[in-house]
Amino acid sequence: MAVMRNLLGKSGPKIVILVTSVFFLLPLLAMTRFAFQNIGVFDLSWSKAFDKWTFDIVSKPFEDQYFTDSLYLSFKIAIGTAALTLGLLIPTAIWVHLRVPKARVLIEFMTVLPYVIPAIALVAGIVVIKPHARWFLNSDLSLIPFYTVLALPFTYRAIDSGLRALELRTLVDASRNLGAGWIRTMVKVIVPNLRSAIISATFLTVAVALGEFTIANVLLKRTFPPFINEYRMREPRAGYALAVLSLLFTIFIFGLLSVALRSPSAKSHQNSTKSREMS
Amino acid sequence: MAWIGLVPFFAFLTLFLFIPAFSVFSEALRGANGKFTLDSLREGISGQNLEAFKFSIKFSAGAAFVGVVFGTLLAYAAVITKRPKWLRSLITSFSGVAANMGGLTLAFAFVSLLGRQGVLTKILAALGWDLYSGNFGLGEIPGLITVYSYFNIPLMVLVTIPAIDGLRTSWREACANLGGTTWTYWRRIGLPVLAPSIMGGFLLLFTNSFSAFATARVLTDNSKIVPLRIGFFLGGDLSVGEDSIGYSLAAWMIIVMAVCMWLYWILRRRAEKWQS
Repeated sequence: MAVMRNLLGKSGPKIVILVTSVFFLLPLLAMTRFAFQNIGVFDLSWSKAFDKWTFDIVSKPFEDQYFTDSLYLSFKIAIGTAALTLGLLIPTAIWVHLRVPKARVLIEFMTVLPYVIPAIALVAGIVVIKPHARWFLNSDLSLIPFYTVLALPFTYRAIDSGLRALELRTLVDASRNLGAGWIRTMVKVIVPNLRSAIISATFLTVAVALGEFTIANVLLKRTFPPFINEYRMREPRAGYALAVLSLLFTIFIFGLLSVALRSPSAKSHQNSTKSREMS
Repeated sequence: MAWIGLVPFFAFLTLFLFIPAFSVFSEALRGANGKFTLDSLREGISGQNLEAFKFSIKFSAGAAFVGVVFGTLLAYAAVITKRPKWLRSLITSFSGVAANMGGLTLAFAFVSLLGRQGVLTKILAALGWDLYSGNFGLGEIPGLITVYSYFNIPLMVLVTIPAIDGLRTSWREACANLGGTTWTYWRRIGLPVLAPSIMGGFLLLFTNSFSAFATARVLTDNSKIVPLRIGFFLGGDLSVGEDSIGYSLAAWMIIVMAVCMWLYWILRRRAEKWQS
């Protein structure tokens, strides 16, 4: 019994980590194999496990005109979504912090509403209003505000917690006393101090906008995710290869995000210790 | 007067969130003749639609349960494993990616692993276990639970790590000093403190699984999955009058989500009490 408990206590966590990592790695390995190993599942055996790996398939999607078109459209939408998110949320969040702190809970509540109205329900509503707003919804770029809504729970939290970490009132008063107008204060004082919050909000929006499938699929917009889904049925291997690449791109984005967020805070930490030493 | 600065934000939400959401309800409450009626709302939870809701609630609850158990265990393992040092940050950053990975890529990965032609399916078949001899399928309950665990477990890790960090060693010592065993500690202190976070996590994972569309769409055509069913009604060529069922299903989905999120909100407030 004591041995058993010891085993569980000591090795339990390791076993949990091991088992879950197998679960998380296997599907990715299987997908990578399908994409980059040119052997049918029927012929697969242990002796051939390392045969015929090739990355030539990566060039295949470029033969399809919709590939570049859809990718271009998705990037346009992602940039638009990030711009709209920042343009709308930064002034709103600052205003809430400075002028109407009472509204904080209300705004926070509003920003989690997209959890209550998931993408599939939102798009049902869009289909209802479509006949009344064709001039707007016929454009592919009309997805931008809806993607902004979908990303709201993540993005508002990022900006709000960035503002909480600042002595906002002091910063603004100092800047105003030195004669800066509101716009100058925003651009020269607040935004630079919000750097890491802005970076994370941007990356989160881009990730949401590049990966969104539901709304685009129902509204028959040819963004990248619907393309990749349809392409996989025509060209399975190349489709899987694209999925692997887009996953690597997401990991790259998140990696970049953590690097971008780490360096300035490490630097500012150094600065603060330095200034403490000086004083 | 100060509220005027919030006008752009509220106008934006009204146009792109509230109006679509209200339209779903107004369409669900309108009969073929344009008059108010509860018929389609009633239809949305009867017959095949009721079966769909039952099926979706069943697999979402199953997926949430599996996610809560393994997510909590993994989060606990990540917190107490001190060496190697980078392990914890690896687990949290991977969770950050995987929790957001739902959708196409995830479904593709599982089709290539456990689909009819999947690698693991073939390996198991060679070992004498034919997965597909019964009624296994990636669009059936065990399949969906397996796939959805891929984003549910990491999400649970992200939401419980702060709660587990909040468990103080002094509580454990106090318990031991008073003669309590490890079991007493978990039974009387650890689990009660974690309970609101765990229940909140369950609700979050449930809503997450219940509303997922993209992953399910690639895995299967199973119309018992409510989001897919809504999608079929929205995009489908249906006879006139039938399309209001799609809106009625969407309205019910919003209601289910709202109840879950309301409970989640309450539980979070309780959970935060111990995380200072």
